[in-house]
Amino acid sequence: MRLLLVEDDAELGRRLGDRLRGAGFAVDLATTRADAEAWPEMEHIDAVVLDLGLPDGSGMDLLRHWRGGRVDTPILILTARGSWQDKVAGLNAGADDFVVKPVRFEELLARLNALLRRQSGQRESALEAGGIRLDPITREVTLDGAPLQLSRQEFRLLHLFLRRAGHVLPQADIIEHLYELGELRDRNTVEVLVGRLRRKVGTQRITTQRGLGYRFEK
Amino acid sequence: MNAPPRPRPTLAVPWHSLRLRFVLSILLWVSLGIGAIWYSSIRLFERHVEASYHEELEVHLRELARLTRLDAEGAPKLTRPLSDPRYEEPLSGFYWQVSLPGQPPLRSESMTRGALDEGIAHSPNVVHKVLGGPTGPAITYGFTRPAPGGHVLHFVIATDQRHLDRLVRDFTRELTVWLVVLAVTLLATGIAIISFGLRPLDRLAMAISRLRSGGSARLEGRYPAEIEPLVDDLNAFIEQNTEIIARARVQAGNLAHSLRTPLAVITDEAERLAESGQAPEAAAVLLDQARRMGQQIEYQLARARSSAGARLPGTASALPEMLEPIVSAMRRLHRDRTFVLDADPQAAVVLPIDPVDLSELVSILVDNAGKWAASRVVVAVRRAAGGVEISVTDDGPGMTAAQIAEACEIGRRFDEAMPGAGLGLAIAREIARDIGATLSLAALAPPARGLCCRVLLPG
Repeated sequence: MRLLLVEDDAELGRRLGDRLRGAGFAVDLATTRADAEAWPEMEHIDAVVLDLGLPDGSGMDLLRHWRGGRVDTPILILTARGSWQDKVAGLNAGADDFVVKPVRFEELLARLNALLRRQSGQRESALEAGGIRLDPITREVTLDGAPLQLSRQEFRLLHLFLRRAGHVLPQADIIEHLYELGELRDRNTVEVLVGRLRRKVGTQRITTQRGLGYRFEK
Repeated sequence: MNAPPRPRPTLAVPWHSLRLRFVLSILLWVSLGIGAIWYSSIRLFERHVEASYHEELEVHLRELARLTRLDAEGAPKLTRPLSDPRYEEPLSGFYWQVSLPGQPPLRSESMTRGALDEGIAHSPNVVHKVLGGPTGPAITYGFTRPAPGGHVLHFVIATDQRHLDRLVRDFTRELTVWLVVLAVTLLATGIAIISFGLRPLDRLAMAISRLRSGGSARLEGRYPAEIEPLVDDLNAFIEQNTEIIARARVQAGNLAHSLRTPLAVITDEAERLAESGQAPEAAAVLLDQARRMGQQIEYQLARARSSAGARLPGTASALPEMLEPIVSAMRRLHRDRTFVLDADPQAAVVLPIDPVDLSELVSILVDNAGKWAASRVVVAVRRAAGGVEISVTDDGPGMTAAQIAEACEIGRRFDEAMPGAGLGLAIAREIARDIGATLSLAALAPPARGLCCRVLLPG
């Protein structure tokens, strides 16, 4: 899952980015409104965490800009301004949730995953398919009830597969959702990563659709 | 947004009012003036009528003397009747009498009975007095003239006092009627002038009333040169006040903003410390203190916002319009719940309450209801005794009486798994107090489940 974190405070941005990466997300960080507004590949961003107080403008205007431009990515506002006037305005401008700083990371993660779950039409917090269960909040993965150890990238990939279980995932989409902007991208790396994951979850679960991509079988 | 109803100037005059002072002053002035005119006019008229009578009687007395002759027997006779025919009419009140010692007195034909006191005629000079006459008290004139043979003729002429009294009485009555009419006219004109003169003050009172009810943000309208500077000063004061409050709110927000971001970093550091297992106790203390600081910032900021807004004139909340964006936002926030806005058309009203405060209060209640509801939240607006009631009802687990009693305490949370800082109801209670509203919580009566929060807004 790839997130865009819009946060002007460098220290908090770095810390949140690290935490979110640790939770299995690829995180792009924008520190100004201008950067965020011109962010490339918005269509590959799975969710946005948006601070409202940006140095070069209001995050609320940025929100309206995205929603006006038909960007339907889930957006979670993370702000230090906690009045309901701001919350109501933000929600009505198209935000999906609102978290006031300081927030415990587990709560932020839970709210973020709830948004992603809602986006993919799921009700349960844990994702489950083909005997594999992945809890994005606790980062626990089990295969037929037995714990499974995955690397950060393997976790990200499995998370992506489970969210799109039964659907063909083109290799290009996998790259866009797994890697942050500016990270080295290589198709071979994806093949290697898929191979490693196959060995851990069972080769029959991830099939190659020749010329199209990969599919996680339900 | 509906325009607020224009306050009408009240017809009842309060005791300490300029209008009453003016009316009483005019009443006193008109009464004194008219009374003085009434009194002096009557006195003047009396004197004038008396003088006329006296002059007339003196003329008649002298005519009587001129027309009196002694006949062959030495008895007094008139050569012809007096020119005034009233002396011929019986008991007309006009009498004369001529007497000569040793002779029967000669009397006017009008004097069919009684006599005049000839004692008044005791000198050659005209003497007058009010004496008893044939038909009551009479103004009596008399003098003497020498007669042949060394005798003295006594001439007496009299007119009943009642004639003069009647004239004065008639005049007084007529004068009184006209002066009363004049007094009423003067008073009415005075009141009209007062009303006209005080109309700008009435308009000012209405403008202040509109300001208080939130119908306008400043005193509107043009005023006379004497009042305009006062209105300008008041408007400048209001604007300055509004700016100060707006600036204070922004500064409070900025302060909260500048504290919360470093606090988020501290929270993160504490979490990392806790996760690393190096200093779990220190991490727990840091996390707890950071949480408390966050609570205090939120609580004090909300209080500062609402207590500043509660004193801001010219602000108004239109119901139910202002609830729509809140309900719409909550539908987005709690997507698996149904939110219903049930507004009674009779309860459509504009209240003199800062909309920021009221929406903060209602948002807290609706968000709380959204968190706890099983499936449905109803936000209703109704007319109630003493004002308008906004109720927020959910179909969640509800609360026990003990929980309700503690619900508005700072940091009180009944489910730690629920997101939030446990401040919502404490802040809601503070805002309700600041805006003069009453907040009450009640569990629904079984078999229904859920909680109903009611906000009674005065007005």
